[in-house]
Amino acid sequence: MNLALYTKELKRNRKNTAIWTAIVLGFTLLIQSIYPSFAEMGENMATMMESMPEEFARAFGMDENTWNSINGFYSTYYGIYITLLMGIFTASTGATIIGKEERDGTAEFLLTQPLSRGNIAGTKFAVLGTLFLIVYAIQTVVAVIGMNIFGGEFDWAPFIAMHVHGFFLVAFFTAAGVLMGAFVSVKVNFMGPVVGMIFGTYFLNAISQATDGAEKLGYISPYHYMPLMLEQGQLDINPWACAGFAAAAAVMVAVAYWRYLKRDILG
Amino acid sequence: MNTIVLHELSKNYGKNVGIADVSLEVKKGEVFGFIGPNGAGKSTTIRTLLGLLKPTSGSASLFGEDAFIRGHELRRRVGYLPSEVHFYPEMSSREILQYHADLVGMQGAPAIIEELGTYFELDLERPISDLSFGNKKKAAIIQAVMHDPELLVLDEPTSGLDPLMQNKFFELLEKRNAAGTTIFFSSHILSEIQRLCDRAAIIREGRITAIEDIGTLLAKQMKKVRLTLGEGHGTTLPEGAKNEHWSGNKVSFDYVGATAELIAWMAGQPVVDTTLNEPDLESIFMNYYRR
Repeated sequence: MNLALYTKELKRNRKNTAIWTAIVLGFTLLIQSIYPSFAEMGENMATMMESMPEEFARAFGMDENTWNSINGFYSTYYGIYITLLMGIFTASTGATIIGKEERDGTAEFLLTQPLSRGNIAGTKFAVLGTLFLIVYAIQTVVAVIGMNIFGGEFDWAPFIAMHVHGFFLVAFFTAAGVLMGAFVSVKVNFMGPVVGMIFGTYFLNAISQATDGAEKLGYISPYHYMPLMLEQGQLDINPWACAGFAAAAAVMVAVAYWRYLKRDILG
Repeated sequence: MNTIVLHELSKNYGKNVGIADVSLEVKKGEVFGFIGPNGAGKSTTIRTLLGLLKPTSGSASLFGEDAFIRGHELRRRVGYLPSEVHFYPEMSSREILQYHADLVGMQGAPAIIEELGTYFELDLERPISDLSFGNKKKAAIIQAVMHDPELLVLDEPTSGLDPLMQNKFFELLEKRNAAGTTIFFSSHILSEIQRLCDRAAIIREGRITAIEDIGTLLAKQMKKVRLTLGEGHGTTLPEGAKNEHWSGNKVSFDYVGATAELIAWMAGQPVVDTTLNEPDLESIFMNYYRR
């Protein structure tokens, strides 16, 4: 890893990272802050849940316990919005972190320096990992603070499981973004394909849960293997799913790395 | 010892040929010209040598070592000036140059950046996005030379520079070459090659067509001659004259041959006025290949 490149890349990405972190944190606190109002409605919400089509509730991971605890309430939104937002940020950054140099014409400057391509790619991936960890860690810390402020005491185990699953899911999407960036033309605006990938796979899973005949549709969605929402107030860490996602992410990054070593650099 | 050796280097883009079987040797301390029209393969050759493009076949060495295997280490000894300059727009020239110094592992960069910035009259504090094409080129020149490389690879180096800056740049190159720097000078402007280079390779449609001493190249170079003659002029033109056009006492023709012989012929004529022009590059090539 090259320290000068690492530092410069972090600096170059700081504004984008700050904006996305602010969005994710704002959303986290907004969700948690409205929980007390829902909790006060208590029975009314439970009644509303009973009147809601079961398929709809399943699709969005809601059950009668969703409103009983801040964990349940938070998990619904964590799964729908927060992991999606983090995934869109890290996957779009991953898709462009190398290709941006070619798109902007700066690749000629960078690749004629005394740096191997492996060193450049490794350093860029380290920057991506750092940005991911920054957003993830800050969101988790702020979420814990928000849970304490707006929900009082809460059950740590499902909260930790939710965030561990969120970590591996976002890491998977990040690696998928890197892989996309390695094979798609650098001229493409990656935001559309990245949002499409993340929302698309989310809704595939939601549809498969809501529709009895479409269970198999969920098999192609990473959300199917990495549950984020509590069921009956509980969620356990699935170590096999975590290991599988970590391995898949590692393979995708390795393929992107290999591709970067072999291809022509334009621009 | 050779600083650059290319052996049957080829690069295809799908079915299109970028360069084919390019072979040349650049000696240590030499200023080697690389001349050809736009799209001939000059930049492709350089970008392949520097590792930006993966060769289809052939080999390249820098300083006697394999340029494709050890290129990243060897590039520490190379200064590269691309034909089109693209820097990070949010950075200033000083930041870019310091960043380059950090990547190269250069000591004492701030003083050298200051010195070269003053020499090229470049405002080092302005963001790259605010710089004109010429000023970006100055920053790129400083980047290429600041770490005192053993080899300078220059791709169309004078585009965007005004004549005064071109002259300062050439003076700097001459000093560096006198101090031992090898220069690989790619251009489509023959007069630039003439001024600086010892030898030159001519590339056309991706293939090297000739590698000549500059003296030999000049001897074969065509000139466009226009003469206004006084009373009693003859109508016999010197040997080597072609495509003559007479209009009263004015004559224009293409001349290929020794300049001294042309001047000797002119001395025997009642010449009122004359111009000798370098023809465009394509004309030179067409003429060159016919011989």
